[in-house]
Amino acid sequence: MEERTVRWCSPLALSLLLVLAGAPVSIASAEPLEAAVKATFLYKFIAFVAWPPGAFATADSPFRLCVEGPDPFGDVLDRAVAGQSAGGRPIELMRRPQFEKGSGCHLLYGTMPMDRLRGEPVLTVSDADAPGGSAAGAVITFVLQEDRVRFVIDAATAQGNRLAISSKLMSLSVRP
Amino acid sequence: MTDLAGFWRHTPRLTLLAMAVLLIAGGLMAVASETAYREEKVGDVEVQTRILATTTTAALSFNDRPTAGEYLTALSASPEFEAAGVYDAGGTLFAAYTAPGMTPVPAMAEPPGHHFDDDTLTVSVPVMQDGHRIGSVSLRTELEPFARRAERYVGMALLLAMTLLIVLVLGAAQAALARANHDLAERARDLSAANRALNAEIAEREKVEAALRQSQKMEAMGQLTGGIAHDFNNLLQALAGCLQLVGRRAKEPSIQPLLETGQQAIDRGAKLVQQLMAFARRQTLRPEPMDVRDRLLGMADLLTRAIRADITLETQVEPGLWAVEVDPTQFELAILNLAVNARDAMPDGGRLRVTARNRPADGANGDLVQVTVSDTGTGMEAEVKARVFEPFFTTKEVGKGSGLGLAQVYGFTRQSSGRVEIDSAPGQGTAVSLFLPRTVKTVAAHAKERSLDTARGAGRRLLLVEDDPIVGSMVAAALDEMGYAVLRAGNAEEALGLLNDRALRIDILFSDVVMPGAMNGIDLAHTARRLRPGLPVVLTTGYSEDIARIDGVRVLPKPYRVGELAELLEAALTADGAGIKVR
Repeated sequence: MEERTVRWCSPLALSLLLVLAGAPVSIASAEPLEAAVKATFLYKFIAFVAWPPGAFATADSPFRLCVEGPDPFGDVLDRAVAGQSAGGRPIELMRRPQFEKGSGCHLLYGTMPMDRLRGEPVLTVSDADAPGGSAAGAVITFVLQEDRVRFVIDAATAQGNRLAISSKLMSLSVRP
Repeated sequence: MTDLAGFWRHTPRLTLLAMAVLLIAGGLMAVASETAYREEKVGDVEVQTRILATTTTAALSFNDRPTAGEYLTALSASPEFEAAGVYDAGGTLFAAYTAPGMTPVPAMAEPPGHHFDDDTLTVSVPVMQDGHRIGSVSLRTELEPFARRAERYVGMALLLAMTLLIVLVLGAAQAALARANHDLAERARDLSAANRALNAEIAEREKVEAALRQSQKMEAMGQLTGGIAHDFNNLLQALAGCLQLVGRRAKEPSIQPLLETGQQAIDRGAKLVQQLMAFARRQTLRPEPMDVRDRLLGMADLLTRAIRADITLETQVEPGLWAVEVDPTQFELAILNLAVNARDAMPDGGRLRVTARNRPADGANGDLVQVTVSDTGTGMEAEVKARVFEPFFTTKEVGKGSGLGLAQVYGFTRQSSGRVEIDSAPGQGTAVSLFLPRTVKTVAAHAKERSLDTARGAGRRLLLVEDDPIVGSMVAAALDEMGYAVLRAGNAEEALGLLNDRALRIDILFSDVVMPGAMNGIDLAHTARRLRPGLPVVLTTGYSEDIARIDGVRVLPKPYRVGELAELLEAALTADGAGIKVR
């Protein structure tokens, strides 16, 4: 962790990350940058995951992207999904302190434990830095490796949530 | 056959054409194969690039360079991939793979598509995510080197070459065959020409051989005839002498008619013998320069009498006709014989033509005078023509002809260094031509008819040389009657002994020519003239032909009458005896 913090401050690494992530954010601080990358990733996950047929009410039901608890992305996420669609569905952002079962979320980012959503067709995304950490029981957990935002995919949880995750995405999963 | 030969004559051109077609076909096939190979390669590489693009989608989406790099590195399993690159949406190189020793992909993305550079193929495809282009992938592969591709084409080229070779060999073989056929045909033509020539030569040789056989037959018959005639001549001579002596001594008038009859028989026999001699070319000729024109014109009366009234006689003589040197009497006899034959060949009348013309020299022959007796008669078959010159060969009835007429003509012309030709065919008449050599000697005036008065020896001493005792006795008796004092010798040696005796007076030598012993009458005559210059010599013979040319020697042909002998002896004594007196 100490090492990671030191690296994190490296301007070169930061700038590289910015460029590669395609996020036109200023190099103001580490936190907003990391948040921007993660916001983008959230949106991009959608393309590599298939939800069970019953996850959507109708064919043109919006895709519901939920952010639980404190929102680390701010309007970055709004910008990232603005004008985008998820397999032809409009993306609907929802921010709540807590989502329960049946709240209609398809993708849920939160730092609280996700056990309550086990069995629900929800792609749960957590953060290793969060209090719950990797133990939160989310399908995808963001990690920082070599100054980069990476993620770990828990295939068992995904299966439990009846989600089919593309092997392409699986191949990007790092070891926790 | 000729069509085929004509076809194969164009073989080289056809082969060239075939070669060109095959080469073009081969080239097209190679180009097609090359194009197909490239298209296939492009397809293959594009598929691989697309797979690569798909697999790198997530890595590109989530900015995962190591993973993208891993994907690219997996390409190293195949050596054909030289380099590969993943570019982000901005065209910047995101991840790259470069095989050892190869050039890396460019730093900026290439537009989608493919392009060939030397032996490499680069394919670029976009990486799509949800209908958005999120980057691109470029994959560069090495193509199979041209050398290796060419190796594949070598197999095809070998096939082509073999085909060409076969065509060439076939063509050459056919051409050679056609040539050989042509040669063979030519040789066959040559052979048949040679065969024709050979046949012609054989025919010619057969002709020559037949002529030779004929000539040899005639020669043999001539020798036989000549020998018999000579012997008969001597016998007739003796008989004639005996009859004359009987006539001189027998005073009984009733015996004279018998003697005349005997003498006539002997004359006829002598004539027959003369004709045989003529055929045998052993008659004694007295050749002299003669004008054929005068001779023929002089014979006109004789010929007119010889032919019948229903036959017209035409005589045609070329002006300026050359002279010939022949025995005039024999010449007349020959013409007469021919005229008689012509007459007999024209039982229903016709035309007898006697022509004479000059035949200038033509290589083999010298200048000749041709005398032709032609008729419009029945002509003769080839078999008859071949035998007409043989003695005793006759087509006339028994008793009508002796078969010696044409034999005389043959013998006379041959002995006169000439030749006879006969041209005849059944119904076409007959033409017999005598070819007599020209002479440059001048023609003397007609000899005066000799006086037939018998002269007397008047006590002259005569040396008689005669091997035949009967003939010798007869002649000696006759000479004795004439008043000659006769010395007798049985052969030349004996006569020489007498001639060598200087004391012995000899006024004249009368000798037979053909005698036993080393010397004949001619040799004796020469020696006698040498021993006793100016000695008159008279030879008698029925046989030799060269005797006529001995200078200063008179010749009496056998058989002779006593009167002829007396006349000749007297003439010799007068001429030569006078010479002696002058000397």
